[in-house]
Amino acid sequence: MPEFDQFLSKKVADRYLKREVLGEGTYGVVYKAIDTKSGQTVAIKKIRLGKHSDGVNFTALREIKILKELKDPNIIELIDAFPHKGNLHLVFEFMESDLEAVIRDRNIVLSPADVKSYLQMTLKGLAYCHKKWVLHRDMKPNNLLIGADGQLKLADFGLARLFGSPDRKFTHQVFARWYRAPELLFGTKQYGAGVDVWAAACIFAELLLRRPLLQGSSDIDQLGKIFATFGTPKPSQWPDMIYLPDYVEYQYVSAPPLRSLFPMASDDALDLLSKMFTYDPKSRITVQQALEHRYFSSIPAPTKPSSLPRPARKGESLNSKPSDFNPHEGPVVLSPPRKSRRVTVQRDGLEGNVHHTEKVDDHFYDARQVAGENMGRSENVPMSVDFSIFGSKPLPRPTLNSADRSHLKRKLDLEFIQPERE
Amino acid sequence: MAANFWASSHYKQLLDQEDVEAVHSPDKEKGITLEEFKLVKMHMANYIMRLAQVVKVRQRVIATAVTYMRRVYTRKSLSEYDPRLVAPTCLYLASKAEESTVQARPLVFYIKKQCPDEKYRFEIKDILEMEMKILEALDYYLVVYHPYRPLTLFLQDAGLTDMTQLAWGLVNDTYKMDLILVHPPYMIALACIYIGSVLKEKDTTSWFEELRVDMNVVKNISMEILDFYDNNKGILEDRVNAALNKLALKQ
Repeated sequence: MPEFDQFLSKKVADRYLKREVLGEGTYGVVYKAIDTKSGQTVAIKKIRLGKHSDGVNFTALREIKILKELKDPNIIELIDAFPHKGNLHLVFEFMESDLEAVIRDRNIVLSPADVKSYLQMTLKGLAYCHKKWVLHRDMKPNNLLIGADGQLKLADFGLARLFGSPDRKFTHQVFARWYRAPELLFGTKQYGAGVDVWAAACIFAELLLRRPLLQGSSDIDQLGKIFATFGTPKPSQWPDMIYLPDYVEYQYVSAPPLRSLFPMASDDALDLLSKMFTYDPKSRITVQQALEHRYFSSIPAPTKPSSLPRPARKGESLNSKPSDFNPHEGPVVLSPPRKSRRVTVQRDGLEGNVHHTEKVDDHFYDARQVAGENMGRSENVPMSVDFSIFGSKPLPRPTLNSADRSHLKRKLDLEFIQPERE
Repeated sequence: MAANFWASSHYKQLLDQEDVEAVHSPDKEKGITLEEFKLVKMHMANYIMRLAQVVKVRQRVIATAVTYMRRVYTRKSLSEYDPRLVAPTCLYLASKAEESTVQARPLVFYIKKQCPDEKYRFEIKDILEMEMKILEALDYYLVVYHPYRPLTLFLQDAGLTDMTQLAWGLVNDTYKMDLILVHPPYMIALACIYIGSVLKEKDTTSWFEELRVDMNVVKNISMEILDFYDNNKGILEDRVNAALNKLALKQ
């Protein structure tokens, strides 16, 4: 107990009054503190020093480097940085919540104007990054923080990179899988701002559906989910596709009408969404163009940030069941609660040759879970695209035609060894 | 990355010549002259380049490391921050910031192998401690722009790609001076092209005119570079050691 008292009153760097621990970040503890200089509440990330005498954590250094160059209302502010007892501490503005909490809180009704407001703030922050030649590379709802004033801010720049040299090769192991653009899944090493746009589109869809749209359980499965949703891309749609390093041919399936997936969305919303989900990164809409899309100028106007619905305090929303249908809620797709991918009895007959691959995938998925990979939503069972709205017949899932099994295995093995961060 | 120099922290941090050339009082007390201050920095830039060759990093990492080192000494004295430790630590930090990490362990190993002089030898923990101090001295600003990219673009535009090697070498040598702290990188690139075109007797007058940059600045930078070559003929080992001995940093 005396320890606790000491903890509460501890002043760091003669400036910050330490408060409670908020959580464990990617590279260290995050705690709440009061900045005695400004009276402001802040969040301090204590960066653990690397284990193998490699000094200041590489990911942290990346974040510092990028955030020192960025100052925008829709980007998290790095207020200060200081060493203390041999550890580096980063001081950020304190943020109450994040977009994932908003999306998952079933007590919150998101009106079309609210969705528009959240998307607009996301895109504004992203547009600023791209203007500064920064790729975020880890866009997902729980990296979009929400302040006490309702402002949404991009955070977690630990995977971010400066880009602009067209010849520079990057790793494709970026983004949480569900937000990964198809060119990354096909292993491209030369990519641009389009990867952030794809992820933003996934977030847009998630705001409309209140659940992630494309929940693949492996990279191969992720592509399958994407193609089942938007149709297998034809070479005319995406000429460079077949030259990508990990390209494998998928069986052709046609796209169901987008409208059927988002029955409540406006025409403008769907038009923007489809432009953000364009396969060919070269023809994908840019963030700036997206902000100028008529979706943002047509009614309803985006809700003022201060009037946006707030999620309940931590812990309160845990009891509500995410998939319960509530007629008073916003645009929710009616679907059977959880449709496990493992129930493959029906599909076996339909698509014989895919069975083996799927098993590998499932095994892979489990291993990743055991390895403690941060899947974002650990309690969600991987769910296939919701077919119930097309009627009783499930849509044929795209299957691998030219899948060289040893190639696939090699790829999966590689991913085993290589964690996504760094 | 060349696109947004004007909005970058690098641009905001450009200094006046006088600020860069101020010898800090702890060093002054030990009798360090401006000439010696410059000499030590040049020597450390060379040391970084030599180390970089054995640990194999890109030119860009070297340039960033030297810039860090020079920025540190606009704020800290040689007496407080031993340049023999600052130099390799800047290389270590720059390698991380430029995404081509060099581990501390091999770096320390190569320092020992390269430098017979005991005074250059440090342990991993020294490097890691200094890394933190350097980050602080840099105020955590790590993005640095360099003349290499504008140089390539300018040479293409001017149709002078046959001069690339010469101009590139000139740019490398500018890191032995403080130019990167004072002038925008693209102006340094232009000065190197200017020198190159004079040396190779290529007429670039109309090309420079079309650029609409302040030719006086370009010429001044060029003169500085040429002066530097004049002043530093021959090897200066003894003068560097004399200066370092004045600081009496390490047994």
